[in-house]
Amino acid sequence: MSRFKILIIVLLSFFSFPLFSQERTSDDIINNLINKNKEFKNEINFNKAHSFYVKKNWDSTLIYSMKQLSSNTNKEIANYCHYFRLRSFHYKKMYLAAQKEFVQITNQFEFYPQSEILFADSYLELGGFKKAEIHYRNVLKNPKIVEQPYSLSRIYDGLGNTYIFLKKYDKAEEYLFKNLKISEKNKANLFNAYNTIASLYYEQYKDKQAIPYFEKAYAISKKNKDISEKKLAAKNMSAIEENQGNFKKALAYRKEFDQWKDSLNNQNKVWALADYEKKYAVAQKQKQIKVLKVESQLKESQRNWLFLSAISLFLLLTSGVYFYAKKVKNAKIILLQKNKLDELNATKDQLFSIVSHDLRSSVNALKTSNAKLSATLETNNYEELNQLIIHNSGIANGAYSLLDNLLHWALLQTKQLYFNKESVHLFSIVQQIEYNYKPLLLDKSITLENSVSKNIFIFVDLDSLKIVLRNLLDNAIKFSNESGKISFTTPEDNLEFCQLVLEDNGLGMDPETIIEILKDDELLAKKGRSEAIGTGLGMQLCKQMIKKNGATIRIESEPHQGTKMILTFPKTEKNG
Amino acid sequence: MDNINVLIIEDTPEQSDALSKVLLANNYTIVGIARSYTDALKLFYEQPIDIIVIDVFLDGKPDGITFAETINIIPNASKPFVFLTSSQDRQIFDRAKLTKPFSFLMKPFNELEILYALEMAVEKFYEQNNVFHSEDQDTVISSDYLFVKKKNSLKKVAISDILYIEVEDRYCNIITENEKFVILISLTKISALLDTNKFVRTHRNFMVNSTKIEEIILADNLIILKGGHKVNLSNTYKDFIKKMNILS
Repeated sequence: MSRFKILIIVLLSFFSFPLFSQERTSDDIINNLINKNKEFKNEINFNKAHSFYVKKNWDSTLIYSMKQLSSNTNKEIANYCHYFRLRSFHYKKMYLAAQKEFVQITNQFEFYPQSEILFADSYLELGGFKKAEIHYRNVLKNPKIVEQPYSLSRIYDGLGNTYIFLKKYDKAEEYLFKNLKISEKNKANLFNAYNTIASLYYEQYKDKQAIPYFEKAYAISKKNKDISEKKLAAKNMSAIEENQGNFKKALAYRKEFDQWKDSLNNQNKVWALADYEKKYAVAQKQKQIKVLKVESQLKESQRNWLFLSAISLFLLLTSGVYFYAKKVKNAKIILLQKNKLDELNATKDQLFSIVSHDLRSSVNALKTSNAKLSATLETNNYEELNQLIIHNSGIANGAYSLLDNLLHWALLQTKQLYFNKESVHLFSIVQQIEYNYKPLLLDKSITLENSVSKNIFIFVDLDSLKIVLRNLLDNAIKFSNESGKISFTTPEDNLEFCQLVLEDNGLGMDPETIIEILKDDELLAKKGRSEAIGTGLGMQLCKQMIKKNGATIRIESEPHQGTKMILTFPKTEKNG
Repeated sequence: MDNINVLIIEDTPEQSDALSKVLLANNYTIVGIARSYTDALKLFYEQPIDIIVIDVFLDGKPDGITFAETINIIPNASKPFVFLTSSQDRQIFDRAKLTKPFSFLMKPFNELEILYALEMAVEKFYEQNNVFHSEDQDTVISSDYLFVKKKNSLKKVAISDILYIEVEDRYCNIITENEKFVILISLTKISALLDTNKFVRTHRNFMVNSTKIEEIILADNLIILKGGHKVNLSNTYKDFIKKMNILS
């Protein structure tokens, strides 16, 4: 019985040990084939099944291959799936299920021989030795299988075992030695080969032949790291020694066996523990992932909130900056305006003081002159009387023109001035202006020439034109020497504009004064030269009136040579 | 040629005196001086008037403008007028300028200014601008009168007095029953301005007042006018005869 026990141990242990090195070669072929075929890459479930198969995660392989099969149309993929399932069931020792998978594999399949080997293996495991023999032999007929030492070794081994169970020891011996030959050649599975042969002999009570093989197997097990092999070898040795009556040795082997068994148990325990730990770690990780997920969600919402608040803050800030800038700008504008207003006010004050001063002196001069007049009247000195009257009227004229300018300036400033452009005959207007200055011209014996073309009509406001001309002529007379010459000319005259030039040969002025006069601010020109220059109000008024009429003024002058005031007016459009 | 009749509406005697002195000196006829709005209206209806000079303020009230407004709304009665004012107050102007045609003269003014203002008023009123001071025309034509600028002043000729007009270059000879004078106006302008029913072309150079025709002698191509004036009739312009209502 003990001999049978050994055998059973041997046989049961046989398929439990995956033959890694060689199996890998066949798996490599599968991998390559699958990877080559691009069609397979789109099938997610199949790829998953395959990857789990490679990792020897049999349960997952079974699940994904089943998923793939339920939705599959491709025959080749189906074959692969069934093959994966066959292998998976086989490793899980579910041989009946494995056999069902094999039935569904078509015989054109690349790995049909390998599948049939597994099929045969399952019969062997289930005790269907005859059927196992038939299938092993069937595979052996395949010419391809002969080229694969691993598969061949499997077949020989399987056949050997089958014959042992069928008690055809000769045939078993033949196949087992064939297997041994391949194993020795490849230096793989030697333990198994030796052990099986030893079991064969032992079964036939050929102890002498069996023992050396057991010892060889034991020796190999010593070199190998596989604890199960060590355990098995030790147990077999102990059984042998026991049968021979060497109880001491048997005990020693037995102890060794126990030791390996313990360590195997320990190892199993360690593995179980490790497995548990792994599961625990996975659970922990999963938990962490969940926590992290929640955290990330939280973070995301926080981030969104932060982002939104940042944006709103930014908007608030920019609008704040904008309004602040606007306020600053407004303040600046207000300050500028204030400064300008202050300046204007100062100008106005200055103007008032100058005007009132001038008026006062004029009226005062009149007063004294009138006193003189009445004194002269008493003496009946008519000659001097006439002189005084002319003098008086001069003063009155000056005061009047000052007041007139002041009135117009005030009207202009308050935008009260009536302004209406119309067609105006320039020659007539010059003549009208000249008419008023005849006594003054006569007094200074200045000759005035009006050579304005009689055919010119300009488009201006008549009264403002009169004010301009009056002031300019007034100035020209003021700055002319005795018996000077003043002329009005229109040298240039085209369809749209005409020039009016007022020329005198009087004092003239330097370029700085010209710039000062034409300066486009509303400040009054300073009193450079004492009595001769007035308030500057007249010139200021002229400039504004000229601008309002759409005309321009230019001054050409040299000191002591005379002055040219060049005005350019828009002409009246024909038919318009 | 007759003098222009001027109505002065001015409340200050000194100023009206000075004004009438200037106008008389320049051969204008003063038909009356009104001191108030009612005076003015009375005179306006009684007298033959060509131009009115209106002071804006009568007795401190802007009755001058009221007067202008009044004559403005009477159809076919209005005459050329000039406002006199001493202030350029905008409010006054805003009211005054609604009376069309609006022309005004600022006080104080000199002789030349008032004459210019009167001429401008006539031009504006009859809507023939830039006439009196241009070099190619000196006559404004209304429906009743020719206003002709002679030297510094204006004269008028009643259109109904004209017998015929003889065109000579840029000039026109105006022949009335009593006198003959030259005005400066182009043929195209004068024929556009005169009533074509009254004045007919009889010749390239002649326009005849049809009411003054006494006899047409087709055989001699002659037209005999009142006072024995003879005018040529050319073949080109004979057609006008068909339009005339001829007795006999």
